[in-house]
Amino acid sequence: MDSENTIALIQARDLKRYFQRGSETVKAVDGIDLEIRAAEMVSILGPSGSGKTTLVQLLSCLDSPTGGILIVNQKPVNGLREDELTKVRRGLVGFVFQKFYLLPTLSVAENVELPLLFYRLPVKRANTLEVLRRVHLEDRANYMPNQLSGGQMQRVAIARSLIINPKILIADEPTGNLDSENGIAVFNLFRALVRDHGISVVVTSHNLALGYRADRILTLSDGKIVREEKGPR
Amino acid sequence: MRFVSLALKNLFRRPVRTILTISGVALAVAVAVSLAGFNLGYQGAIERSIDRLGFQVMIMAKGCPYEAATLMLKGGTGLLYLPSDTYDRVHSDPDILSIAPIFIGIAEKKNSSIREDASSALVVLTGVEPKSITEMKPWLEFQTGEGYDGGRWFTPGSSDEVVMGYEAATYEQRKVGDSYMVSISPYGRSESVLKEFKIVGVLKRTGTQDDGTVFLPIKTAQSIFNRPDQLTILGIKLKEFSGVKLEEFESRWIKLPEVQVVSLEQVKSTLVMLIGTAQVMILAVTVIAILVAVIGVINTILMSVYERTGEIGVMKALGAFRGDVFQLIWLETLAVCVSGAIIGSAIALAGAHLTEKAIKALVDIGIQGSIVTITWPVLLAAFVGAAVVGFFAGLYPAWRAASMLPVNAIREGIG
Repeated sequence: MDSENTIALIQARDLKRYFQRGSETVKAVDGIDLEIRAAEMVSILGPSGSGKTTLVQLLSCLDSPTGGILIVNQKPVNGLREDELTKVRRGLVGFVFQKFYLLPTLSVAENVELPLLFYRLPVKRANTLEVLRRVHLEDRANYMPNQLSGGQMQRVAIARSLIINPKILIADEPTGNLDSENGIAVFNLFRALVRDHGISVVVTSHNLALGYRADRILTLSDGKIVREEKGPR
Repeated sequence: MRFVSLALKNLFRRPVRTILTISGVALAVAVAVSLAGFNLGYQGAIERSIDRLGFQVMIMAKGCPYEAATLMLKGGTGLLYLPSDTYDRVHSDPDILSIAPIFIGIAEKKNSSIREDASSALVVLTGVEPKSITEMKPWLEFQTGEGYDGGRWFTPGSSDEVVMGYEAATYEQRKVGDSYMVSISPYGRSESVLKEFKIVGVLKRTGTQDDGTVFLPIKTAQSIFNRPDQLTILGIKLKEFSGVKLEEFESRWIKLPEVQVVSLEQVKSTLVMLIGTAQVMILAVTVIAILVAVIGVINTILMSVYERTGEIGVMKALGAFRGDVFQLIWLETLAVCVSGAIIGSAIALAGAHLTEKAIKALVDIGIQGSIVTITWPVLLAAFVGAAVVGFFAGLYPAWRAASMLPVNAIREGIG
């Protein structure tokens, strides 16, 4: 595990993402140095507007930096077009969002299998059930999303991101719509993915108690990392 | 799961909106298919109807030739007559293969079962010579079976024998041997006369105006209408029918006072032209219906795209390329248009009879038989047309969806 931990899946050097809002320049991410290694769980904490979401969008190739260097899976991604960023992202990054975005007309299993459609991969229901088992929802495969609780829907969204066997799971405020019990369950699930499957998890949160369950905790303020701490495990 | 099944499932997230949009397309397609069927069927129906008159050229009293042709096709009042000696002058023309003198009179049928209110109805009585009319219309045959056996043409000198067309006999519930009474207003007399005839034959259905006609000996017809020296038309078949021959024939007989020579080819083309204005109007309505349907489809799909902004962003985050999103939205548009085409074509097929009734009620020029012919090529054209419309209607919404940057789409979706 130690040797694996040395592999940097994502490297950022002086990473910047500035937005122009009228005459004002908003420095959402302002000179961040960061590495995300294999099989670690990293929490990014900070108040609203501190740049957490922008940072994870850059790390996951959903957005392009306006400055600095970003290397994802050993490929520099600065200046890549949208479809080129998609190519870098595919098979590497799985996403979980605050809103679950499950398609209401698809069953739980079909929602989980949705990324396979975009990857042109065959659907194997046994694989789907295995992924659902990891999130403890194998008995809900044929349910429709409106038959699930919020916590269950978020776990379906996590299963959907896992179906393509990503190396990194990026979760932006995944517990924002959940109660504390379901929030803890989701974080425990992330820990299990790191521990049992060697997946790296990068998660943003407002919830300090949950955030401190990670291996590393980064605290952001005004687009900069102001504190980096090791977690309890 | 495939893109097609995902697109179809997406459409039924808002079933009412989707069904309304499909209905708009279906309505436009139904109108377009019905119009195409009408265009196709109408010309053929005119040609069949006029060919079934049995002659190529008519000689008739001066007046509007097309009105006269229409009267020949569907009956009516306001007939003009020509002197019967016209027949004596014309029948020896060397270019004539056969000639049939015809006298048409309009009688009144009291307590007619043709009308539901059992009041009076007008009946076309057509005086003919059995020999010449069967030469012109060799397809005329007598109905057989119980009550119809033994049907024959009337004897030329008979004063009370008639042969009824199929529909005339059916409506009046008459068979061979029954009597048939009509009220006739002889020319120059103020009072009408009730006349009783004996039915000596009922014709098989021909699908032409002859089905509603009552035939009687020409001399009898002239006599009871008190027009002993008059005819309605001379129907003529030429040995060789061409523009040149017709012109030669016309130039020989146009000199006769009070008569005109009319080619049924001219009548055909004029009747086709008469309906042209109505066709242009229907075409304009169809184009508007299609445009409204296309705008409706674009609007529906665009609304659906905007509603799913966040979802589209997540799809991209999950690995969908721009082309995948484009394909998905475009397939949704295509599915709406193709579903509309199938439903619209089915409506047009099922409603062809009603369409025909409506058109005939609006523009009745006496064409018998079907004037709305919906063929497989018409249906195929509707299907392909809807697919092409769907292809273009889907381009803009699909492009909008595909062009959304995932980061913006997710942000807007969350907001």
